[in-house]
Amino acid sequence: MTGQQFDDEILMAFADGELDEATTGAVERAMETDDDLALRVALFMETRARAREAMAPMLDQPVPEALRRSIEDMVARHGGGDTQTAEVVAFRPAANDRRPSIARSRWIAPIAASTVAVLAGVAGYWLGSASPARQDAGLAVAGLSVNGLPAALDSTPSGEEIVLAGSDARFRAIATFEDGDGRLCREFEVDMPSQATLVSVACRQAGDWTVSFVVVAASGADGYAPASSLDALDAYLSAIGAGEPLDDDDEREALSAIR
Amino acid sequence: MSTPADDVGKQLLAMLPVLRRFALSLTRSADKADDLVQSACERALASADRYEPGTRFDAWMFRIMRNLWIDRLRREKVAGPMDDIDDRSNIVGVSGEQVIEARSEMSSVSDAIAALPDEQREVLMLTCVEDMPYREVADMLGIPIGTVMSRLARARRRLAEATGITGDGARSSVQQGKRP
Repeated sequence: MTGQQFDDEILMAFADGELDEATTGAVERAMETDDDLALRVALFMETRARAREAMAPMLDQPVPEALRRSIEDMVARHGGGDTQTAEVVAFRPAANDRRPSIARSRWIAPIAASTVAVLAGVAGYWLGSASPARQDAGLAVAGLSVNGLPAALDSTPSGEEIVLAGSDARFRAIATFEDGDGRLCREFEVDMPSQATLVSVACRQAGDWTVSFVVVAASGADGYAPASSLDALDAYLSAIGAGEPLDDDDEREALSAIR
Repeated sequence: MSTPADDVGKQLLAMLPVLRRFALSLTRSADKADDLVQSACERALASADRYEPGTRFDAWMFRIMRNLWIDRLRREKVAGPMDDIDDRSNIVGVSGEQVIEARSEMSSVSDAIAALPDEQREVLMLTCVEDMPYREVADMLGIPIGTVMSRLARARRRLAEATGITGDGARSSVQQGKRP
């Protein structure tokens, strides 16, 4: 009856969440009374789910080390070795045409995650060692340096903001969690006197904090990092298998355990 | 002071995982995918001055990769099953005859995807597996959005026929899709 008014492409777009609101409503109403229509929609939902189920494992394989090295060599040959000293790539806001109504594309995540992986790979800094000079140990990113960070990571409860010892930088602890390998990690932001905000993640490694992710964002007037850098962060967190943030008690316990 | 090759090089390294995903969805073989990524990166670096900064780098790379792959298929004359399925008329659901056929030689989902014409498989991979919106796929492939939708609908009907998907199973397991 009413089934005839929707062609396959409309029903497919409905199944994929790509229809405008009005047509979505019309399809929904029609499906309530038309089983055949519902079945046709279900066919598109099921093919999507099954295709993904079948293909995702193949695509999700990590990049082989040999391939990565080979491309790195190739880039170095063409670019005169510039990759070793690459400055931090500012994370630009995504294009405005990103559709707000669609769940965030999985596509964006690997791009973002790989961009930040480069940041981490290029920077790869240690936040000081277990030496007496530890309090002075800092983080240097693209010419910015942050003193007192290890101590702040050790002791600042999430949700609190402090001024870092020995600098004008403001440090905000955002969350504490474990990554997929069970390492303790902290997400934090640092407002630099230079108006930049670092959005960063540090994880415990060999008894010290290692910064594994950092995006340098020009901060807004309110000092908070723009949302686009948080997209990169989200992508990174899912890439490392970050668990749920610890609650206050668990965080206190985890932090006291490392001191 | 960076040259176009520097910029392209940086982006290549940054999006290597994405490039390899693209390559895997085109070639469906790890070895071939790695070869393709290498060739595409060589080509991109060699013609770095043709990349317009500010345009989508992933789309540019995808086109390079896809053209290389198509060339290679032609050269090796190993093109898979092609085009005849592409022009089938709108088959809604699955007819009785086709059900019998499908049941008797039901393919796995991945075999069925492999057997799709390249241009159908590519939109299927980009939308259903990579979760890209139709619009982005259209921009990336440089085709109208209507063409993306018609290829995608054909690919999915074909997939349903080949694997015996009827939609029945989806009603309970797949809830509401992902409506906005």
